[in-house]
Amino acid sequence: MTKEEPSLRDLTRVHLTNLNRVMYPALNITKQEVITYYIRMAPRILPFLHNRPLTMHRYPAGVGREDFYEKDAPQGTPDYVDIFTRYSETADREVHFVLCNNLDTLIWLANLASLELHVTLSSAATYDSPDLVLFDIDPEPPLSFDDTIDVAHIVHGQLEEAGMRSYVKTSGKKGLHIVVPLAAGYRFEEIRAFAHTLGKKIALDTKGVVSEFPHSQDPGTIFIDYLQNAHGKTMAAPYSLRATDGATVSAPLSWDQLKHGIRPEDFNIRTVLSGNEDPWRGIFDTRQTIGR
Amino acid sequence: MKIHGGEFLTPGRQSGDKSGHRSPQGRTRKDVTGVSGQEPVLATGISGEPAIKKDQPKALVIPKPRPDERAHTGKAGRPFWSGSITIGLVNVPVRLHTMVRDRSFSFRLLHREDGQPLRYDRVCTKDGRVIPWADTVKGYEVRKGEYVVFEPEELKAVMPESDRKIRIEKFVYYLSLDPTYFETPYILLPDRSEEAYSLLVTVLQDLGRAAVGTITLRTKEYPVVVHVYEGALVLTTLRHADEVTSPHAFEQLHSLPVPKASELALAKRIITELSGDFSLADYPDRYQEAVMGLIEKKLAGEKIVREEPHPEEAKELMQALQETIATLAGK
Repeated sequence: MTKEEPSLRDLTRVHLTNLNRVMYPALNITKQEVITYYIRMAPRILPFLHNRPLTMHRYPAGVGREDFYEKDAPQGTPDYVDIFTRYSETADREVHFVLCNNLDTLIWLANLASLELHVTLSSAATYDSPDLVLFDIDPEPPLSFDDTIDVAHIVHGQLEEAGMRSYVKTSGKKGLHIVVPLAAGYRFEEIRAFAHTLGKKIALDTKGVVSEFPHSQDPGTIFIDYLQNAHGKTMAAPYSLRATDGATVSAPLSWDQLKHGIRPEDFNIRTVLSGNEDPWRGIFDTRQTIGR
Repeated sequence: MKIHGGEFLTPGRQSGDKSGHRSPQGRTRKDVTGVSGQEPVLATGISGEPAIKKDQPKALVIPKPRPDERAHTGKAGRPFWSGSITIGLVNVPVRLHTMVRDRSFSFRLLHREDGQPLRYDRVCTKDGRVIPWADTVKGYEVRKGEYVVFEPEELKAVMPESDRKIRIEKFVYYLSLDPTYFETPYILLPDRSEEAYSLLVTVLQDLGRAAVGTITLRTKEYPVVVHVYEGALVLTTLRHADEVTSPHAFEQLHSLPVPKASELALAKRIITELSGDFSLADYPDRYQEAVMGLIEKKLAGEKIVREEPHPEEAKELMQALQETIATLAGK
């Protein structure tokens, strides 16, 4: 008795290649595992990626080998991939952004060894108008991840006071990202000013926190980076893998989960797969205005 | 839009055409002469009317290339030729730069067994020996198996000397030139002659004219046209008259039926509906793109032969796919 197995071709239009190529040599994780990860995360990651211009960070031969950023849809991009064409001032030409609007596109990206997926703070439809504010919080040694968590809670508290709901995730590297979903119509200058003002306020009140770029690398400080709130800037998408030895994930967390003792490495390709509630679920149901 | 009238370029084509834009002869003469009284190399014959009429279709819209694809960006490389544009007694020193690049690619022939490139040899058809260059002469086959033989010096003696001049003989309406004769465009850049160059650009632009004349490149003399394209003077070499077949050589075209009015009206409607701006970007070279893609993949060590992963190998992946598709469908 053999059951008729569906073939891969029945399930996806993506032509998968080099599935056994090692992507994370330290853990011997193959491309097949990377693709499987993204397939499993698709129900969580697709709603966030929808219509958001992507920047691919590709590692064709795996982490530790040659890598490159790619904003343009590469040659041979299949038909099922949505494209958003837009003139880029920095590049002085039209850029054909990939929009990850379906499962096949996500699988295709993984197959391209785009381990990291980065997205803009605005969606393609309203490209000049951000719908997210980003607080990028990074510690400089000897300060630790625990210290970063403390600062994140302060930012969270300030935002709550202003009546705004915020969402937190690990960057997957050493810091934390706090994201505030916004109503339509804001300009980048406005959200940058907002993030800067809040950062300055916290820096004044809190020892070790800096809000200005020249001090961002000072030892023993934590930098609240407001400069990421700019046209064309990107952040690692929630649930994006990162190109680290430990195959970390930029992992969304609930504010309750954000406690001393957790480490960015705890959230990786093998641990994030668990089926509990998505802490960022419904993020785009909260369209907020900046209290001016 | 035709090169018209000059016997040199359009043999047997003077009277048969039905250009709707024709002006009275007298006016034509007056408009296009006044530059030189020489035998015309290229004469306009037609149209004393402005080059760009309001009801004329739009000119080609050539998209700006993406910077990484631009053949020759910013810094001009080495000029391909330098000399001057000569109009009567006026000289405008210019440098000639190549403008088009051939993106086609060629494969080398290899020995399948060891992958080594093959080479071509000059082999004597009589005794099968490989002949060194020094022992070769050029022959022109006059009859089957009969050759007129030339030593290199004999050919050199009749090669035209390049006198470093683009001799302008006439000015014509640019839109009156038929692209049939266009061969290769080159960009002309001023050679410490910015003012004169700019004057020429502006006056040609304002009058909608192009300059016609001759240039000698390497060993060949070409008729050329110089026109303004995106603020630059562009020189295009033209084919010689006898290199282009006149449609009049085809009997079939002499007795075409006159279309019925109703059919004509319908055809015009269809064409009007399908009218649009032309963009070359809509026509990529798909074969070239595909082959280049294959080359990149080969370089990256990927196999091109389509292979499906074996279901057993990709079992976990398949299971994830089935579950995720079910989840997404359930939403």
